[in-house]
Amino acid sequence: MDSLQILLGILSPGVMLVIFAGVLIGIIVGAIPGLNGAIGISLLLPITFTLEPQIGLLLLGGIYMGGMYGGSITAILLNVPGDVVAAPAAMEGYPLTKQGRSKEALYYSIFSSMFGGVIGVLILIFFTPPLARFALQFGPAEMFFIALSGLVVIGALGGNIYKSLFAVFFGLFISTIGVDAITASQRFTLGNINLRSGISVVPVVLGLFCLAEMFLNIGKKANEVVTYKEQNITRMTVIKEILRHKMLVFKGSMIGTFVGLLPGVGTTLAVFLSYGEAKRVSKNPELFENGNVEGIIAAESANNATVGSTMVPLLALGVPGSPTTAIIAGALIIHGIILGPSLFVQRPDVAYTFIFGMMMTVVAMTVIGAFGIKYFAYILKIKMEYIVPTVLVFTLFGAYSLRNNVFDILIALVLGVVGAIFKKTGVPLAPIIIGVVLGGLIETNLVRSLTIANARQVSLLQYMLTNPLAIALLAMVCVIFYVVIKMRMKMKSM
Amino acid sequence: MKKKLVLLIALTLTLSLFAMGCNDNGGEQGAFPNGNIQIIVPYSAGGGGDTVARILADGLGDELDVQINVINREGAGGELGIAEIAASDADGYTLGVFGYPDNFVLEHTRDTDFTFDDLEYLAAFDDMPMGIFAGPGSEFETIEDIIAYGEANPGGITIGESGALGLLHVLAFSDHLGIETSPVNFEGGGELMNAILGAHVDLASTSSMSHDPIMDGGGHPIGFAAAERMDMFPDVPTFKELGFDLEMGVSRVLVVPAGVPDEVKTVLTEALDAIGNDPELKERFENAALPYRYLDYDRVNEVLQRSNDTLLPVIESNQQRFE
Repeated sequence: MDSLQILLGILSPGVMLVIFAGVLIGIIVGAIPGLNGAIGISLLLPITFTLEPQIGLLLLGGIYMGGMYGGSITAILLNVPGDVVAAPAAMEGYPLTKQGRSKEALYYSIFSSMFGGVIGVLILIFFTPPLARFALQFGPAEMFFIALSGLVVIGALGGNIYKSLFAVFFGLFISTIGVDAITASQRFTLGNINLRSGISVVPVVLGLFCLAEMFLNIGKKANEVVTYKEQNITRMTVIKEILRHKMLVFKGSMIGTFVGLLPGVGTTLAVFLSYGEAKRVSKNPELFENGNVEGIIAAESANNATVGSTMVPLLALGVPGSPTTAIIAGALIIHGIILGPSLFVQRPDVAYTFIFGMMMTVVAMTVIGAFGIKYFAYILKIKMEYIVPTVLVFTLFGAYSLRNNVFDILIALVLGVVGAIFKKTGVPLAPIIIGVVLGGLIETNLVRSLTIANARQVSLLQYMLTNPLAIALLAMVCVIFYVVIKMRMKMKSM
Repeated sequence: MKKKLVLLIALTLTLSLFAMGCNDNGGEQGAFPNGNIQIIVPYSAGGGGDTVARILADGLGDELDVQINVINREGAGGELGIAEIAASDADGYTLGVFGYPDNFVLEHTRDTDFTFDDLEYLAAFDDMPMGIFAGPGSEFETIEDIIAYGEANPGGITIGESGALGLLHVLAFSDHLGIETSPVNFEGGGELMNAILGAHVDLASTSSMSHDPIMDGGGHPIGFAAAERMDMFPDVPTFKELGFDLEMGVSRVLVVPAGVPDEVKTVLTEALDAIGNDPELKERFENAALPYRYLDYDRVNEVLQRSNDTLLPVIESNQQRFE
């Protein structure tokens, strides 16, 4: 099969329909708090068994791409991030909505997602083999430093330093709950079987962001919270403005790409790293968390860029690095397609249709997003008394659907109350999420490093700093740390 | 007008969500099966166990002419889902599919809510041996290389594993070779694959399903803990022929909670025999790189009992590793 045939195949009406349907489903599940791309993909997985493998894959790929964007819609309009990766979009976008600039914020989100998505897929198309080899360089020591850089970035996020510290320790504490993966000892499980597998980040985000926001909104009138204003802003203005920030888009996409390559790290870290970096280089860091479009650009370009790059180790090595890609791997396995370098030789039709088709998922996302915005904004016209119960139901359903476990609803509810208290007392929520995501990553990779260092009879430091890549990453952590402290000093003196 | 429309949509969606929760489960009247059946899988969507459950849901659903839904109840290494299967109503409308010996290892290494006999094993569908693999550029070509290095450097060989069975296999392998090794835990097969292909660990302990991706990435198998050479991979030696009597593997079993009425059990086992001996099912398994081996009700119970007897001493002699 030559490339022209593959291209024509992608552009055929049937395939385009599947792509658009996938993206639309992705945007919807992404926008609904609690549901995300991974859940949408596992719901539709059985359908793909009956489709041709490449078509089924594009359906799932479309959901993945759309889901990464969809979360920002509800984040911007309701301060309820539809997905963990949309948390920064809520932090920057909702203040804009309060200022009557929701349409503008939504345009920034979709077009930043578009640029991020395009860059991620281009990297998937052109750099898969070398990047897959590069990703293999990341062992326990390198992963440890990557995770550490995420913790250091919290310093840049702003807010009172003591409250931020409290928040990150709270998040790290949550991450320690459960059976310790290395020694299998139980920590803070109170003998409850449900706590043994730990608390995952999804119910935490649902509680802290979605439920807390809704709890605080109870009893408020619609126009008390936000009023909808028609805004005269064209798509071209926003695109031009984003292109003025091309370094931000580029950096966000690169951060998304590289973090996405690493197995088990997840998109959340990429989004916050990019967001923190945007704040660091911003000329107006004081505007952050008051509605700074730079934050939206950085975060949204980063999360859509991870879509392409998480596929790199999956397709090139058969290494699924995230829950979403693991399900996509399952869809391929059932068709008897073996992932790895031989995929491109044995089933080039599947491999190339998929990676080129992913570009069309970006197109579909942009079309649906850019033209759907005026309809999305109608959400703001709905009275709060209808919004609150609807969001509550979806959030609780989302918490349940993560593992089909009622216990996760309880966790979300408890953290909803905690989150409402934190919001009232000015404890920042983002560091909690980062703590939950990174706690396990830091710990397991440190213990792995210790085990390997012991086996090789070298000291931990010797083991961790054998690889030049690890040394470079450590240097990066130090630089970020230094920059963050300098930034903090400057903010204090202002 | 538009406001009302949006409201209506929101309401419909909300209501339909509730409706989704109310699964019409278990028609009490009439002959079994008279209503939807669910299969609980204690792992997340996309893995080997999940794939088996979905193939079976399809085949068994056609055979019994009912809708069979797969429900993923992952968590705590399968413990949550297996406990739920064991605790569900013994009416034949809740089945479970998981990889034996996960339940047995969990039961003997943790304080679980279920025992081996809380479940009834109706059939097994595949037989996937564990194996030891070396990464690209590894100095370990054969099992002799491993023994020689291990004897000279006690604890010097790192072996990556993911999950309780992977760890158990490392321990048993080391015991048989008479060397001490250092197991390194990874969260799931993806991370383990990254570690072995990136040479961050010396060896990996994983199932035969990883054979192709590891070979593709430049690694090679040392051997499989199988009774005999696998049809899929005839070039890979068994530990037995290398002189080590080690057999360990995953076998996906279909279970019901203990206490299901005999007539229901008969309907299920007859349907399972019908699809289990059908070459079409075999083909679907082999397409998905799952080595097919159907064991009917009598044989599965015999095989599992024998396997329990060989696993228990290994678990007990390494009990401190699991605590």
